[in-house]
Amino acid sequence: MQTTHMATPVLEVAHLEKVYGALGNVTRALNDVSFTVNRGEFVGIMGASGSGKSTLLNCVSTIDSATSGTIRINGQDVTRMKQAKLSQFRREELGFIFQDSNLLDTLTARENIALPLTIARVNSAEISTRVQDVAARLSISQVLDKYPYQMSGGQQQRVAAARALVTDPTMIMADEPTGALDSKSARLLLESLEALNRRLRATVLMVTHDSFAASYTSHVLFIRDGKIFTELRRGDTDRREFFDRIMEVVAMMGGEGSDAL
Amino acid sequence: MLCKLAWGNVRRAGRDYLVYLLTLTLGVTVFYAFNTVSMQVDIAGIDEEGLAQVMGSMLGDLTYFLAGVMAFLMVYANNFIMKRRKKEFGLYQVLGMGRGRVATIMALETVIVSVVAFVAGIVLGVGLSQLMTFFTASLFKTQIANFHFFFSVHAFNLTLACMLVMFVLTLLLNLRAVRRTKLIELMGAERRNESIKTRNPWIAIAIFAVGVVLVGVAYYRLLRDGFPLTATDSKLQEAMNQFGITTAMVTVGTFALFWGLSGMLIKLLQSLRGVYWRGLNMFTVRQLAAKVNTVCFSMGVIAMLLFLAITSVTCGMSIANVMNENLERYNPVDVSQTYVYYTPDTLDYYKEYVNPSDEADRMVPADTTVDLYPAWHGRDSSADNNDETGKKVDIADVAGEHVQIDSYLSYPFGSSNPSVTPSEMCKIMGEKLPKAFGGSNADTMGLFVTPASQYNKLRQMMGEEPVHIGHDQYLLTCDMGGELVDLYTKYMAGGHALTLGGHTLKPATDKSDEDTAAIANSAMGSNPGTVVVADELLSQLNLQPYSSSLLVNYKQGMDTTEADESIKYTLLDDLLVDGKKPGSWGTFITRSEMYTQAAQMNGLISCLAIYIGFVLVVACAAILSIQQLSNVADGSRSYRVLAQIGCDDRQIRHSVMAQQAVFFLFPLAVGLAHSFLALKVIIELVSIFGNMSIGGTVGLTCAIFLAAYGGYFLVTYLMSAGMVQAAIATRYSE
Repeated sequence: MQTTHMATPVLEVAHLEKVYGALGNVTRALNDVSFTVNRGEFVGIMGASGSGKSTLLNCVSTIDSATSGTIRINGQDVTRMKQAKLSQFRREELGFIFQDSNLLDTLTARENIALPLTIARVNSAEISTRVQDVAARLSISQVLDKYPYQMSGGQQQRVAAARALVTDPTMIMADEPTGALDSKSARLLLESLEALNRRLRATVLMVTHDSFAASYTSHVLFIRDGKIFTELRRGDTDRREFFDRIMEVVAMMGGEGSDAL
Repeated sequence: MLCKLAWGNVRRAGRDYLVYLLTLTLGVTVFYAFNTVSMQVDIAGIDEEGLAQVMGSMLGDLTYFLAGVMAFLMVYANNFIMKRRKKEFGLYQVLGMGRGRVATIMALETVIVSVVAFVAGIVLGVGLSQLMTFFTASLFKTQIANFHFFFSVHAFNLTLACMLVMFVLTLLLNLRAVRRTKLIELMGAERRNESIKTRNPWIAIAIFAVGVVLVGVAYYRLLRDGFPLTATDSKLQEAMNQFGITTAMVTVGTFALFWGLSGMLIKLLQSLRGVYWRGLNMFTVRQLAAKVNTVCFSMGVIAMLLFLAITSVTCGMSIANVMNENLERYNPVDVSQTYVYYTPDTLDYYKEYVNPSDEADRMVPADTTVDLYPAWHGRDSSADNNDETGKKVDIADVAGEHVQIDSYLSYPFGSSNPSVTPSEMCKIMGEKLPKAFGGSNADTMGLFVTPASQYNKLRQMMGEEPVHIGHDQYLLTCDMGGELVDLYTKYMAGGHALTLGGHTLKPATDKSDEDTAAIANSAMGSNPGTVVVADELLSQLNLQPYSSSLLVNYKQGMDTTEADESIKYTLLDDLLVDGKKPGSWGTFITRSEMYTQAAQMNGLISCLAIYIGFVLVVACAAILSIQQLSNVADGSRSYRVLAQIGCDDRQIRHSVMAQQAVFFLFPLAVGLAHSFLALKVIIELVSIFGNMSIGGTVGLTCAIFLAAYGGYFLVTYLMSAGMVQAAIATRYSE
């Protein structure tokens, strides 16, 4: 707890609620969720299907709007932002990685990665060097001129990661990034994210229902029925041991725990 | 149960079906309205017998063409909707529904949409046809005396039959699609990354270059050779073949142009790094490239269709305009009657066509002209007078002022080489013979020769001063305007001499008056070129008579319609000189008849041109519209991704706009370029009849077409922008 206070908070979520539906037919997807993520943390959000974890990520990433509560990213309250400002905010502060890589089919890897920069009107020379840099870090330099359909799922996911990273965002949002990958590709992607987090102090927020993926993070929030059930910090333990602790919590979460594997 | 499902589907897939429904409705509307044109002509009070039938039969042929265009459009719209619905049909099968029942649902959906479209289309069509009646009336320059609501059973039946055929066609196509597609493909259609058919950009550029070269060479050939219409008979076949090659070149070239377009665009823009790597330009270009690859064929078709539409409309209407504008000049008097002499060259030709053969024995070549005025008499053969007892009619009954104009060939009796021809004149001036002349009658026959007294008499009748033509002088006249008149004027203004029967003549003035140059009433001009010389000279020359025309104005105060009626049906008595026939009666033309005919011709041409053009333009625009909407629907995921990575809506909309502008404008630009060139050549060709101007009605019509096309563009864009907005707003559900 001490360390949390000393580090700068990047994301502060307070009393977040999200309600779907109208009167009489209300689904409370998020119910009074509060937590903080510090700069340089690699945070995992775990939960079964329907627990509200993706809703949480969507609210935090400004793709969806919250019903009540506040979400501060770098001190700015994103729940109060106007639409136009939100686009700019997403562009400058956030990077996204999705389960299906969401690359644009018609663009090459290089162009996909460059897209956030061209949108932000960075000059072409700089775009070129930054794309090369980030591609080298994620070891995808050799596929830069291929189209998404010419790449493996793992490569697509890493290109998507590169696209998320190329703007140097305050925070990277990953929604089940390993969901569609085979285990080897998943491991490669998780190692890349871990390395990014370690070496470049990038803040990563990853939603997953896979305990193995979660074990790469430094801090896991468990969500059940729209509420934070508990949280785990890795501290100095190694990944293997952290994985066991996660498994214990998953088991403890009961019924749904089984499909959280 | 299936019905309910189908109905639900149609309602739910409303947006997708809307495009299909609109296209179908539009098709039915235009088809019905188009087929009522002959009825409109009736209502519009254009009572000239036969016109409605002529119109009807011409339109009947065009209907097949129109049906073809509509069928293409509907199959296209149908494919669009099937592509969108694949997954749903896959789902039914996964849920255990047999293929037969899936097919039934689909058939029911098609029935529902078709019925709705048919009913809506007919209602709109009936409305449109009432409105069009006024338009048709204005094209024919008439007033609608008694307008009443009308419904054409014929057009209705035709439309219904057409719809049924198309319905069966689309149904079969759809059933085949369901039968052939694998379930896994139906289900996974959306998810997978679409594989992009990339073409080697260098090959694409090469093909593009080939296209440009082909089109360029075809343009050059067209400018050089013109249309094969001007070729002489002997060379016609070859000219047609050459023209065929040119047409093939421009067609292939156009398709090559679109085939290579994407690769060329990418390479071009990539070379401009600052532009390519900026905003969504890269995305826009890639998106275009991906689609251009798959739609290059239809873009080519659209470019060619637009070309056809623009050219036919502009050309048809301009020709009609020219005819109308010059009508006054072409018809200087109330009525004219021509008499054509037999020449040694033509006598045998005429003899073959007379029956009985003893008639042929009476025919002799004319060595001198005859007076037509005293010879113009005969029996009235109109419906209420039978041939035997018909009352005698004489031109003197109606004639007021009148003049006879004799046209001689420019060589003496018994010879056959014209001494004055346009090509000879061009040679003297060192100029190229205008294309329109090559091998034309005006050149092989040479110019006519007419005595000055007759020419001046006509001028006096028309209230103009006579022109003095001395014994050693000549004057060139021509009422066809355009290049011909320019040529003659230039010749006289240049002071060039003419040699006629050994006499060298000088121009009497430097310009001739087109408006008094007619030698008979006509629709398109009667005098391609005449040398007017002094009477004494002419009598010395002993030239071969060619024809004489009696130009008559009715007596003062006489009612034109009555006078027309009284002589219109006259069966003229044979003109005999010493018991021999030196020629035969030729055309009899009243001025009012020419005016009516011209108005009708004008109306007919304009009507056809406008309707064909309109149908083509609308069909093109509809195809483009469907394509674009389906592109946007396919790309909705991409737009959502763009929004997620922080692209604001405005930028996305601009990108959509840019993509659609290329799709709409590029075929239009190519079509316009083709038309521009074709029209240039056509104008050159038609200029023999006077200066064709593209303006007025033509301009207005084109403006309406462009408005329709632009309207489609705008609606497509607005709908697309709405779809993009919806795609972006779609919540990421768990």
